[in-house]
Amino acid sequence: MMLAALIRKELLALIRDPHGLVALFLMPVAFIIIMSLALKDYYSPQTRTLPYALLDRDGGAQAQTLAAQWQADHGTPRQVPEEWRPALLSGQVRYVLTIEPGFSEAIASPATPPGVKVRMLADPGLEHALFRGTEAELAAAVGELRANAIQERFMGMVGQGANAIRNLVSAERVATRVRPTAVQQNVPAWLVFGMFFVVTAIASLFVQEARDGTLARLQAIGVPRRIQILAKALPYLGVNAVQAALMLAVGVWLMPLLGGEALQLAGIDWVALLLMLVMISFAAIGFALAIACLVRSHAQASALGATCNLLMAAIGGIMVPTFVMPAAMQAAAHWSPMNWALEGLLQVLLRSGDTLSVLPSAGKLAAFAALMWLAATLLFRRRMK
Amino acid sequence: MLTIASLSFQYPNAPQAALREVSLTVQRGRVLGLLGPNGAGKTTLISHLAGLLAVQHGSILLDGRPLATARAERPTRITLAPQEYAFYPMLTVAENLACFAAACRLSGDKLRERIAACIAFTQLERFAKTRAEHLSGGLKRRLNLAIALLPEPELILLDEPTVGVDPQSRAFLLDAVRALAQAGTTVLYTSHYIEEIEAIADDVAILDNGRVLRAAALPELLAEGGAQMALRIDWPVDAALGLLGHFGQAQAGHEGEILLSLNPDSSPASVLQAIATAGATLHMARYGSHDLERLFMALTHRTLRDE
Repeated sequence: MMLAALIRKELLALIRDPHGLVALFLMPVAFIIIMSLALKDYYSPQTRTLPYALLDRDGGAQAQTLAAQWQADHGTPRQVPEEWRPALLSGQVRYVLTIEPGFSEAIASPATPPGVKVRMLADPGLEHALFRGTEAELAAAVGELRANAIQERFMGMVGQGANAIRNLVSAERVATRVRPTAVQQNVPAWLVFGMFFVVTAIASLFVQEARDGTLARLQAIGVPRRIQILAKALPYLGVNAVQAALMLAVGVWLMPLLGGEALQLAGIDWVALLLMLVMISFAAIGFALAIACLVRSHAQASALGATCNLLMAAIGGIMVPTFVMPAAMQAAAHWSPMNWALEGLLQVLLRSGDTLSVLPSAGKLAAFAALMWLAATLLFRRRMK
Repeated sequence: MLTIASLSFQYPNAPQAALREVSLTVQRGRVLGLLGPNGAGKTTLISHLAGLLAVQHGSILLDGRPLATARAERPTRITLAPQEYAFYPMLTVAENLACFAAACRLSGDKLRERIAACIAFTQLERFAKTRAEHLSGGLKRRLNLAIALLPEPELILLDEPTVGVDPQSRAFLLDAVRALAQAGTTVLYTSHYIEEIEAIADDVAILDNGRVLRAAALPELLAEGGAQMALRIDWPVDAALGLLGHFGQAQAGHEGEILLSLNPDSSPASVLQAIATAGATLHMARYGSHDLERLFMALTHRTLRDE
């Protein structure tokens, strides 16, 4: 009865604080949407949809084959005048392919090609990854064309060269049914951030209650300290659960409507996901309680809570994925509880991980949570003496 | 009911003790007014009684048993209405009362009955559904009191309960304290306002610098004023104290006043005659029954309003 009343009080105070609700629910949703859309092309380079122009100055059979193959893979080229530079610099096309005279002859000849016969001239603003990706595709297409020509000439393999070359290579992601996308990375990342953000709500309310004398009043009427701490913690387990459901729903249903990829949950291990979410929640709430019992003012609560959160997020790969970090930063990321949380979620959502595979992450979070809860209990006892 | 003996307390890292050898008795069914300036130790003393501070030296007995033991059995025998508005501003009056009633281990019909009684006692019926943050200062004080009354305490500690309220609300709160006392509840009431203590207290304790300077029934304290004189003469204070010290206990008061507690064998006339004989000019003389403020000034050498 006592615990239920205090939990009800905590929830009513939270529900009636619109700023707190925005910080807990809308802020991470906004980050998911913004960052997923912003990083969409990073995870899925759009090399095959870039507008381009093709100038065939050779006109031979091999040049026409290359043009047809490129068109099949990259769409119809835009028409540009012979003087193509203005179109490129204005962004009308992102690159121009020119097939120089002598291309067909050079491809079919066993001799060393006499010089550059295909040029790719790109918009100076074209992203590095797109530039290199398109260049590699072009090199592969020309190489394939030349290999086919040589096979035809010396091995008599007419008409089956293309498939023969392509069949030599296979590339696939192992042990997963899920394709990495910006949404698949950002939903777990900002979910972790949002769950840890309960620190500001818990710490602010705690400071308010200490200042108002309500904590002292509860102690004076004999409310045990463990009940007071539980009454703070349990409502936020519910808050974290709602956050998780909301963020996953945003990924699954809202992101496709906004032009992003959908979060893929089919075939994931739900027990592993639940285990990770519970451990993240324990860790986040334990951390929030420790900060709440440590600080003495609203200014300290918002500064210390938010700063710690941002640092853990920045180091832990929430804001910038760890795989784009240099080695030293990647090593540092392993010290952030948010990184343990994110790695565990990615293990489930991206790598089709099962319960066993998330135990290392869950274990680290459980140890962190235990440490934080112990710190909170000791700090609270010291404070109320 | 409550016996405090030689209670001393020093906060960690504080240069001096907040309470020094405090001894007091709180009698059941009476109102004890605790008077003292800021820093006198009132809130520290109250915090001990509310179980917020552990006893370092001395003892506190509730009905002959250590307070900690008695509180462990039933923590709500003594409740506190602190100086701060100790409730949840986001919750309504009724929600606050329900929350604290449950925290006081009340449930079911008893819970509803006590909430209704406390709302009625503090006349908060019209505001039951108003969020506490939207109440006026006076109404917030009433809610603070109502929460403290929820578990029907034997002793209620009211720490500066009228700070920041309008005269009407103050009158209401004082009436409420009188009504509580008449109903048999023991009240320990701290205040800056001497007139409030005079209006409601049966007993008074004057606290300063962590010590109890005087503690007695209010009529007894006021009667002591009958044997007191306040004088102002044109002599230096030290010389005046030397002259008047022959007639009783003399001490310097405010603005050159000398406060003189007459010996039983001294009379006001003999004092005036001695002044005239010594050749001093008398600027002011006052004699008779004084008020609590004058007694407070005599004991502490300052006024509460100065704090």
